[in-house]
Amino acid sequence: MTTTERRGTAPDPAAPTTVLQTIDVAVHYGGIKAVDGIDMSLETGRILGILGPNGSGKSTLLGAITRLVPLTRGRVLLDGEDYGRTPPARLAHRGIARTFQTVRLLPDLPVLGNIQLGADLRLDRASRWRELVRRSVPESVTEAIERTGVGDVLDLLPGELSYGTARRVEIARALASRPRVLMLDEPTAGMNQPERLEVAGLLRKLRDEGLTQLLVEHDVQMMVDTCDRLLAMNQGKHVAEGAPADVVRDPAVQEAYLGKRWNRAADQ
Amino acid sequence: MNTWWLSNQILIQSTFISLLLALSIQVPLRAGVFSFAGIGSYAIGAYTAAILTIRYQVPGIVAIGAGVLLAAAIGYLLALLVARLSGLYLGMATISFALFLGVLATNGGDLTGGATGLFGAISTVTTEHVIAATVVVVVLLAASERGAFGRKVDAVREDPQLAVSLGVDVIRVRRVVFVVSGALGACAGGMNSLLRTTVSPETIGFHLVVTALTMIIVGGALSWAGAAIGAVIFTWLPTVLQSVGEWQLLVYGLLVAIAAVYVPNGLLGLLQTGWRRLRRRGRRIPAEGAAAPTGVVVQEDPESELAALGGPTTEARP
Repeated sequence: MTTTERRGTAPDPAAPTTVLQTIDVAVHYGGIKAVDGIDMSLETGRILGILGPNGSGKSTLLGAITRLVPLTRGRVLLDGEDYGRTPPARLAHRGIARTFQTVRLLPDLPVLGNIQLGADLRLDRASRWRELVRRSVPESVTEAIERTGVGDVLDLLPGELSYGTARRVEIARALASRPRVLMLDEPTAGMNQPERLEVAGLLRKLRDEGLTQLLVEHDVQMMVDTCDRLLAMNQGKHVAEGAPADVVRDPAVQEAYLGKRWNRAADQ
Repeated sequence: MNTWWLSNQILIQSTFISLLLALSIQVPLRAGVFSFAGIGSYAIGAYTAAILTIRYQVPGIVAIGAGVLLAAAIGYLLALLVARLSGLYLGMATISFALFLGVLATNGGDLTGGATGLFGAISTVTTEHVIAATVVVVVLLAASERGAFGRKVDAVREDPQLAVSLGVDVIRVRRVVFVVSGALGACAGGMNSLLRTTVSPETIGFHLVVTALTMIIVGGALSWAGAAIGAVIFTWLPTVLQSVGEWQLLVYGLLVAIAAVYVPNGLLGLLQTGWRRLRRRGRRIPAEGAAAPTGVVVQEDPESELAALGGPTTEARP
């Protein structure tokens, strides 16, 4: 199937390789240490979750990894190669796609156009012209629409969407670029429970097809349900890391900011 | 028709030249770049074309082309110079670029003819040439507003950081915008000089900034069509308003104020919103019974599966 071919290195689940790595990454704003010395590695075909309360530096870490936020210290590696000096726009071409914490859709563009934006970087000259003449839509776009179930709102403007739907459109836009690594910043914020389950199911399905993901969330149940591995952060620092159930049971994690009731989430 | 055409030659020419000038501001604005460099480029084009025709007897079209190339090159250098500026600061910097060129023209001695300017730039450039050039420009710009390139520019304007995360080289888009703006401004300036056979510091002054901005604000900044609406209104309004005499300026001011406050996307924005509503109303009635896909425009395209997609997803949702 073309999807797995495009995503390249179809992973052998027995032997995952590290696709993305951070070494001692720090982002400081003056005296504020938003991220302070995070080591992290993301393996092919896995979902790594970054867990932590608001303000713990999760989104800043994501910004640092996607080079939208300048590093104060540390290194970021993609396929073992330092990309700390690569222009941020090149990262998308190298297969990294992301969503943001807030809805960031272009307000004057219908949903379809917003999703197409994700696929545009993969278009060759011929398909660009073809779109002008015949308004054709790349297969990756139709696939992303199908996956996220936004087929019935393609004609609407982002302002006319419910919050949950807007978030799904954002995921569709990220998927439309057929990324190798997908980074999601609180993808289910503002969604109701069925919608959350739907998104969690989608992410797991994508994982099974070989899509590597980095998921930032503070919905612990969603993280436990979805991720292969969790990294817990607090105040910019690494608190715990490991299997989701172990991390949420970790006394440091629980007592610092989750509360004991999450034992139940881990047991399920 | 023929008599109308002949008796309104000057206004027709002005309409198209104003449109090119307005486009030289609209193109950067569409990419979120608040630059008036197009006005400075108008001066470059106007003087280059006049100097080349008067002093070197260069054919008119070549003279205009030389001005366009020169202004495009200067536009690129200017983009490098002001790369770190944005918003009002960029606006001010580019206005001062235009004013600086005005001073240069006034003090240019024999080359620019000083404060009186240059006369006798006789050429074979005609109204038809102006219209042809404008049509070519408009077709290219209209194409650039659609498809992948249009989306790219929209993303750069609305959310540069998002654009970067989608793989758009924002800095490069901004440079291209400066080059295009320079070329458009110079084209307008060169044609104006050769059609009027004269250029002076007065014709390249600050009033051009106001004229171009007015056209875009009232017409609409997000498309070439907005600039066209503005160019037509503000070129022909003085003729229509002859009867009110000195009150003309008041009418201008009111129009701009009303547009800025109540119609932020200009007359074009009003038309587009109206059109969207009409289309949607027309569609809603048949769509209710049938599980028809909601107006995806790609149905006849064999590559697209969207038409098939709309059905199942509509049904699947409660």
